[in-house]
Amino acid sequence: MERLSARIARATMAHRWLSLLVLIAITGFFAVQLRNVELRTIFSDLLPSNHPFVQTYKDHPNFGNPLTVTIMVKRKDGDIYNAETLQKVWDLTRDVDLTPAVDHDQILSVATEKARYSEATPNGIDSRPVMGDHPPRTAAEIAEFRSRLLKAPNVRTFMVSEDETATLITATFIERLLDYGVTFEHLDKLVKDARDDKHDVYIAGQPILTGWVYFYEWQMLGIFAVTGLALLGALIFYMRNVVGVVAPLTTSLVAAVWGFGFVGWLNQPIEPLIMVVPLLLVARSFSHCVQFIERFYEVLHHVKNRRRAAEISLSVMMVPGVLGITTDAIGLLLIGVAPIPAMERFALFCGFWAMMLVPTNVLLTPLLIMLLPEPKNVGRLVGANKGEAKHGGIKLLLRLIAHLSFGPRAWITAAALVALTVFSIGKLSDLKIGNPVEGSNLLWEDSEFNVAVSNINSHFPGLNTLEIIFESKSPDDMERVVRKAETALTMQRLQHLLESQPNPPEASLSFADYLPEANRLFSGGNPKWAPLDHDDAAVSAAAGALMVGTGPKAFLHVTDFEQRNGTVSLWYKDNKQDTVDGALRQARAALEIIGTEYDDFRIRLGSGTIALQQSINDTVDSYQWIILGLLNAVILVTCSIAYRSVVAGILLLIPVNLSNLFLAAVMTEMGIGLDVNTLPIAAIGVGVGIDYGIYLLSRIYEEYQMRKDMALAILTAVTTTGKAIFFTATIVLIGILPWYFLSALKFLADMGLLLVMVMLINMVIALIVVPLLVWLIRPRFIESTELLVSEGVDLEALASENSDENLRAKAAEMVKHPTNEVVEVVPLRP
Amino acid sequence: MRIRKYDSDFSRRAFLEKSLKGVAAAGVLAPLWPEIARSGTIDKVYPDELLSIELYTKGQVKPGDVITADNVEVVKDLLDPIAYRQVKEMGRRINIVETTTDVTKLYPHEYMEATLRNAGRAKFDANGNVVTDDGKPWIGGNPFPNAQTGEEAFANLTMSWGRHDESVYAVRDWDISPNGTLSYQYDFIWAEQNTVGLVNKPSPYQAGDEDKLRYQAVWFTSPTDAKGTAFLNTWHYDQRKFPELLGYLPAFKRVRNFPTNQRFEPLVPGITIFLSDAWAAGDPMLTWGNYKVIGTKPHLGAVSGNWTGKRNPNWEREVHGGPKDQTFFEDYKELVPEVLVVEAEPIGYPRAPVSKKRVYIDVRNMMFVSYLTYDRRGEIWKSFEPAFSQYQDGDAAYMDGAHPLWSWTHVHSHDVQTNRMSRFVQAKQITGGFGPEYNIGPSIYDKYLTAQAIRRFGT
Repeated sequence: MERLSARIARATMAHRWLSLLVLIAITGFFAVQLRNVELRTIFSDLLPSNHPFVQTYKDHPNFGNPLTVTIMVKRKDGDIYNAETLQKVWDLTRDVDLTPAVDHDQILSVATEKARYSEATPNGIDSRPVMGDHPPRTAAEIAEFRSRLLKAPNVRTFMVSEDETATLITATFIERLLDYGVTFEHLDKLVKDARDDKHDVYIAGQPILTGWVYFYEWQMLGIFAVTGLALLGALIFYMRNVVGVVAPLTTSLVAAVWGFGFVGWLNQPIEPLIMVVPLLLVARSFSHCVQFIERFYEVLHHVKNRRRAAEISLSVMMVPGVLGITTDAIGLLLIGVAPIPAMERFALFCGFWAMMLVPTNVLLTPLLIMLLPEPKNVGRLVGANKGEAKHGGIKLLLRLIAHLSFGPRAWITAAALVALTVFSIGKLSDLKIGNPVEGSNLLWEDSEFNVAVSNINSHFPGLNTLEIIFESKSPDDMERVVRKAETALTMQRLQHLLESQPNPPEASLSFADYLPEANRLFSGGNPKWAPLDHDDAAVSAAAGALMVGTGPKAFLHVTDFEQRNGTVSLWYKDNKQDTVDGALRQARAALEIIGTEYDDFRIRLGSGTIALQQSINDTVDSYQWIILGLLNAVILVTCSIAYRSVVAGILLLIPVNLSNLFLAAVMTEMGIGLDVNTLPIAAIGVGVGIDYGIYLLSRIYEEYQMRKDMALAILTAVTTTGKAIFFTATIVLIGILPWYFLSALKFLADMGLLLVMVMLINMVIALIVVPLLVWLIRPRFIESTELLVSEGVDLEALASENSDENLRAKAAEMVKHPTNEVVEVVPLRP
Repeated sequence: MRIRKYDSDFSRRAFLEKSLKGVAAAGVLAPLWPEIARSGTIDKVYPDELLSIELYTKGQVKPGDVITADNVEVVKDLLDPIAYRQVKEMGRRINIVETTTDVTKLYPHEYMEATLRNAGRAKFDANGNVVTDDGKPWIGGNPFPNAQTGEEAFANLTMSWGRHDESVYAVRDWDISPNGTLSYQYDFIWAEQNTVGLVNKPSPYQAGDEDKLRYQAVWFTSPTDAKGTAFLNTWHYDQRKFPELLGYLPAFKRVRNFPTNQRFEPLVPGITIFLSDAWAAGDPMLTWGNYKVIGTKPHLGAVSGNWTGKRNPNWEREVHGGPKDQTFFEDYKELVPEVLVVEAEPIGYPRAPVSKKRVYIDVRNMMFVSYLTYDRRGEIWKSFEPAFSQYQDGDAAYMDGAHPLWSWTHVHSHDVQTNRMSRFVQAKQITGGFGPEYNIGPSIYDKYLTAQAIRRFGT
């Protein structure tokens, strides 16, 4: 009975115009939504939505200053107390006020009116800005400014560095009005213009980070262009005919239209940070198409009839092609299991795109082959022509690789693999979670942003905070829980507990910290009046004193606008995992002591960079394995069905899991940890690796069915299908490798590097381990004639149909001399 | 039925011509102020289309109609950009009433009499301060009823804010967050005492205070944590000088001196109003500069029919619009035939976060109907939109002596950048039992306007 794949193949080729029309109509359907495609970074979507820290962050987004920009002016040759530096700070402060979307009430520097000193006078309290109506110019004015700073302890601590060489300007932005690109451009220019031989000026903060990401998106488009050209060049260099170049390009383009059109219909933004994966999909599309075309060339070389060759190729390649693509797609779709919104969207977008390679590649490629001119260089491409050094060289290399997998060498190879596996398992325990850099892991350690973060951290309490949130339980919007005595005193107690630990935070700050100073000043200035009475009236009075003449906006970093919820901010020197672990351990221990449930409020851990980093690490740590486990299960089921053998499923899973293990060992050696950047890599790697395994195993099966000689089957499979694998892996590498070298975004570079490594490892492991396992295990399914994955092709019969005597003779000759130079040609069924 | 004497574009051409010629003198058909002095009405000063919203909009809007997002385009040119956006995007409604042609309803009685009595006697001295023709401090009423320049228009706003010799307003304020919820609510007293330009006394000057312009205080009576908080401003007559500013917190029993030029900060948490915003002329007028009239035009202004004392016993108002249907007060606007649009810049404030203010001034009584501030990028920051009225609602009235009170009724102060709204009313009574008081004589000083008074209030 004729197989389903053969019937589909025949029907597709018989109604090829109708098939084309259907594909064109679907492409049109998706193309109309391309205008809705939007590339946009939503940082909160990079966080795992179900993690308690992220939920705390989303309930209280204003804590941890996500919309605040910090500028540090650093005097290189002395302190800031000179006319030139203070003028610069004044000018920068005024210029920052001109930035689009800035909240004019939330700009703070030593030059703003909000930086005040107060002193008790016989007539009451005198409160004035530390800087007058112009920056200090004379020595006397500078001395006066300096003395006023000493009377404003909060300004002195948080706005001027301890060594007095640096000062900060902070500005908060209004999210509704914020266009990150425009704001970044304005501030970046300000900062660059302010730098001179005596001053360094650094700028950091989440809006700036987003600005840099947007800035590099343009660079990303450039890398896309480079990569696209490299891919095209590789294709032209390898194929050197119209079909071989136009078919992969067209099918990939159509798949891209479907993929982007799909998200256009869903009206969801695409995360630009993951755009390396769509490029991988383009390369994978090339790869599948090339696999098909290679096979088509082989068949065409024998049957000399394009339609028959296309039909046969489609019939033969359909099941392994669909299976391979499906595993790719499942790998990508399963990434969506991780509850990170950006990854969920990524999984849907890329998984759909990958799945659509079935119609766009498997079906469209043979149709295009029929439309496009017949290639003239088939003999050269299948390696039949002598003197084709390029293809011949690849063959030679593959023959050497193939010989590692059968015969006596197989045992040596197996032993080496076992040793490598044991070594890698040993390394696995050293694999770290997280890739901390000071600043953002999206950018390189020496990037302008991370250098700025590092410098600000070294002069001030810094930017790495853990926020412990005090959350009102009252449903009344106007019950100002932060102004109650129990809240303020609990905040102080928590800070005291944490600061008396062996490795305390660098600094801590809460709304309660501001109250004693207000109390002191309004009570007459004597330090003995600083401590608060332990009752609501005293705390509320101090809070009222603090707010007079300013407003809650000035304290949004410690309490919300309505003063219902507050935070205790804890600063840490870095965000290395040891620091993060220690900070969280201490915080949990302190909360254990003071409790988290009170009548008016509850205490929630936590938010800030420290907690959010941990939330990602926790998620990566657990979901990495969940995704891999699920992927293994799905692949085991599908491959077991396809090969009608559980052994086949296991046999295919071994190499891909070995590849992952080796990848982990390489990452450990290179000092790369698991993080959100690496989360998709293992799944993609398994998808691609299994794809190689299926093509190769199917070919070994086919060859064995025809030759009944395992060594010969392996040799033939590795040197034919292996060549296509070799080429497609190479083409993927060409597509991705430039990202590592060219991308200023570390996120993309890391993903690029890891994808390159996972592809390389998977290719080598597939070429060696799949044949090796078949050789060593001799699975029974290889003997079966009823597998879904492939069917033998009687090329001799087809050659007879073609009445080509020369071809018949050549085919007969190949059967007689199976190990000669042209052994890679598909042998005839005996 | 009125017969239209001029075609529909007549007034538009007239305003265009006036703007091009730089003429700020009010009136289209005839000079405004001589006609007011003669008849007390403006019927003969403006063509029909500027006295009737129905004619102006060619029948699309008439008194009794409500402006909503559905029909706001018809009156877009009669609104400032923020009011338009509030209606178009935030669900604000504006009720339309007849244009007031009887100008006596737009002033406190005594103030209008003083304006008429003293017309033509004001001038600027060498320092830029308003003086009489014999060089003395101003003697009452609008010094420049027929203002020709931005300075003259602002002198009218600055010299007497509330247009009574003494005013005590009981104010209830609600501060609405961007998501429409109530963030803060305050009750406070606002007390003003003019020391020159008195219109209800035998002498225009309070003896011994001729060098001052006014005393003014704010006292908070609610909520509990703000109760007793008070501020006292003492304005110099010389408009180049910053007012003295004292603050008092009852819990600490100490008066605090504030920086005198710190006028762009809210007084208490959550409120969007700065000292600088009061009456669109919250700062001494010579600390601002570059005054210029940038045009004249008709405008929609809340200047009549806004006192709802009969329907709302405590003079509060119904609310609507915004995410929680409580961002805006119900209010009533009429077609103001002519406003001067005046701009000024805060030249005396090196750290001012605003670059300029734009004020729309009703030429009939020289009171502002709308006021916008712009940030230093030139983008609109805040809108401060008052409503005024004669305090008559049907057969109910509130008197300031022998005459129905004319005063403000409510204000929308909208920070459009952060989208926070402060809206407040002049209430009949607020927490602590305080209510409005007008023309109460010198007793206001000891009662409300001294350091001792604000201390005493907090105890």
